[in-house]
Amino acid sequence: MEKKSDFKSYKKEIMDAAHNERLRLALTRAVGSFRANVNKALEKYPHTIALAEEVLKIKEKAIPEMENLARQAIAAIEENKGKGYIARTAEEALDIISGLVGTKKLIVKGKSMTGEEIGLREHLEAKGNEVYETDLGEFIIQKLGDRPMHILSPSIHVPREDVARLFSKVFGKEIAPDAEIADMVAAAREYLRDKFFRADIGISGANAVAAETGTLFIIENEGNIRLATGAPPVHIALVGMEKLVPSLSDAFKVSEVTWRYANYTVPSYVSLVSGPSKTGDIEKVTTYGAHGPKEFHVIFLDGGRTRLAKYPKLMQALYCLRCGGCLYECPVFAVTAGHFGDKYFTGIGAVWAAIVNEDPEKAAAIAYTCLTCGRCRERCPMKIDVPEMILELRKMLAEGEK
Amino acid sequence: MSEETAMTSELLPPGLAYLADNILTRQNILGIDKEQGARWARGLDLPDTSGTIFFAGCGYQFSGQLEALMSLIKTMDKTVGAELPMRLAQFQKKLGLNLPAVYGKVFSRGGEAEAKPLVAAVKVLRKLGIEPGYLAANEPCCGAPLYQAGLQTKFAENARRAYQTMKTAGVKQIISIVPYCTHALQKLFPLYVEGYDIEVRHFLEIVAEKLPSLKLRFARRVRAAYHDPCQLVRYLRLIEEPRRILNAIEGIELVETAWTKGAWATCCGGGGGFEAVFPELSGILAVNRAKELMETKPDIIVTHCPGCIMQLKDGLRRLKIEGVEVLDLAEIIAMAIA
Repeated sequence: MEKKSDFKSYKKEIMDAAHNERLRLALTRAVGSFRANVNKALEKYPHTIALAEEVLKIKEKAIPEMENLARQAIAAIEENKGKGYIARTAEEALDIISGLVGTKKLIVKGKSMTGEEIGLREHLEAKGNEVYETDLGEFIIQKLGDRPMHILSPSIHVPREDVARLFSKVFGKEIAPDAEIADMVAAAREYLRDKFFRADIGISGANAVAAETGTLFIIENEGNIRLATGAPPVHIALVGMEKLVPSLSDAFKVSEVTWRYANYTVPSYVSLVSGPSKTGDIEKVTTYGAHGPKEFHVIFLDGGRTRLAKYPKLMQALYCLRCGGCLYECPVFAVTAGHFGDKYFTGIGAVWAAIVNEDPEKAAAIAYTCLTCGRCRERCPMKIDVPEMILELRKMLAEGEK
Repeated sequence: MSEETAMTSELLPPGLAYLADNILTRQNILGIDKEQGARWARGLDLPDTSGTIFFAGCGYQFSGQLEALMSLIKTMDKTVGAELPMRLAQFQKKLGLNLPAVYGKVFSRGGEAEAKPLVAAVKVLRKLGIEPGYLAANEPCCGAPLYQAGLQTKFAENARRAYQTMKTAGVKQIISIVPYCTHALQKLFPLYVEGYDIEVRHFLEIVAEKLPSLKLRFARRVRAAYHDPCQLVRYLRLIEEPRRILNAIEGIELVETAWTKGAWATCCGGGGGFEAVFPELSGILAVNRAKELMETKPDIIVTHCPGCIMQLKDGLRRLKIEGVEVLDLAEIIAMAIA
């Protein structure tokens, strides 16, 4: 427990954010449209609410079993001629991945909270690799040298004028501050296009994993993940162990509930990846690396998750689908964005800080920033009781229980 | 913070430690003399023993003092910066700030008038044929801020003591009004006090139940925006009751925000001791909520929690909105029932 966070600088960070009018404006707009979209999506597919209850039951069973599920998934992946690993700690995960990557490689990366959690991009860059974030929001954050402020919309706090200025600099051609957003998107597409095909390695996360077949479910809209996991010769996936569920049909259910509560009726793409690319078209001889990657590696990260699963009141944090809905309901997030948080944002972030990152100072700062107003719980498809967890954490922190 | 009860953990924000210390030593959040707190009930002649008591709690009794304290620490938070306002006790000495004197001044300018919702609630109960008792200076503190701060062992000890005090006074039923107290007495005490057998009801439940037999009329026609306190709406699920009551009052037109109402109501920014840790941020959140409510173009804002009232008044003040009063639902009912 070496990391000492400082409440004073945390509070200053929060207050600076709270006094930032541009940030507030960006957030107010985002909150309004997110709520409207979720409600529309739920109205159109009303079965989602019952499905969410079913998913909660799946999660309640899967979380205590995640280690076994990881082993089962690894066996399936290896049967599919991929490779599976369990990383006990963030450091172990980084070692495994940098062992696979080596140095001086061109890497295209999809957005991954788990990657953010362990500082994957920074690590690979430090090892002398060229890493491109390919999710547009994450790309903006990377180029700004900032950190993500929302789990699904990392650049939620960056207004378009700032994006235009940034892109002009990065792409070396003028993009007017009042340019159409479509033109900004097109410029990013053009810039990243050849990276996908030149890349040595594609890295992704996953939204759910079916243990029985070792299948990753990856939800996206931009199409960057399809390219990043399809074009390069190697695909490496980093997945938190809590994403594992027993069967394919379970993983489908988790995915549908995730995207619906993430404000989509249906996403443009869901990729299901179970192994490397293969063909048997010439004399029925199975050959790997047809059009897709020849190599497929999946790292399941424990990183404190099995420890967290042992706390009766806190383990529900592992049910989180990362739909991001709670963030839009948090009155503090509405003025501070991800500054209220650590690796994960708002109240639930305190649990990760305390148990997964073992940083009690940071956990206390976040725990006492939570209003315990409970509106996040109203939104959460898994009915995660954040106030209950916060009060439990405060008890552990204030009474010195660990 | 006194020596004997000093909180051990460095991780407990001092602002919360201050409130907790007062509860443990003086049985109220500000450490004020209990006799003074009970002054609002003078002239009501409430019996000190009765099977059913009215539980007044700290929030309304000391709302004047709390407001004075909060405006003090909000200013300090802005001017002095980061951490000092949280170390109230030490800061008090350093600046020669005399908090008891600040509180006393509020009392001497008729601070008990701030406890109007309590008087109103008792009057309403009497109209409904209920004659509650009141433990006055003997009323224990529910200890909710201890629980919120994370001091659950101390909360449990306090709860057991409070239960004994009330049992000794012959209490069988509590009519509670402050949302935090109600939640503590009704939902938390049974978890920590073995054999807890006191029935706890919220004032609004009782009024809502008797609604069909009441004729309610407000003196003027007003658009009233209702703000749901977090504890009432998401912890006690009193969603329909206040709305049924407001809708039953002739002259009152209930107006609501499009989205942030009922279970989705936005917190006023005063939740769980937040204002004692982040005074300035708490003010910003108060402004945000006041803005949302003002979108309904109300003549008055109605809510039912001493914390929310304080916050919303502060929000309107910061927005420089004049002429929109923040009233407690108990006062509204009392005005309409007369």
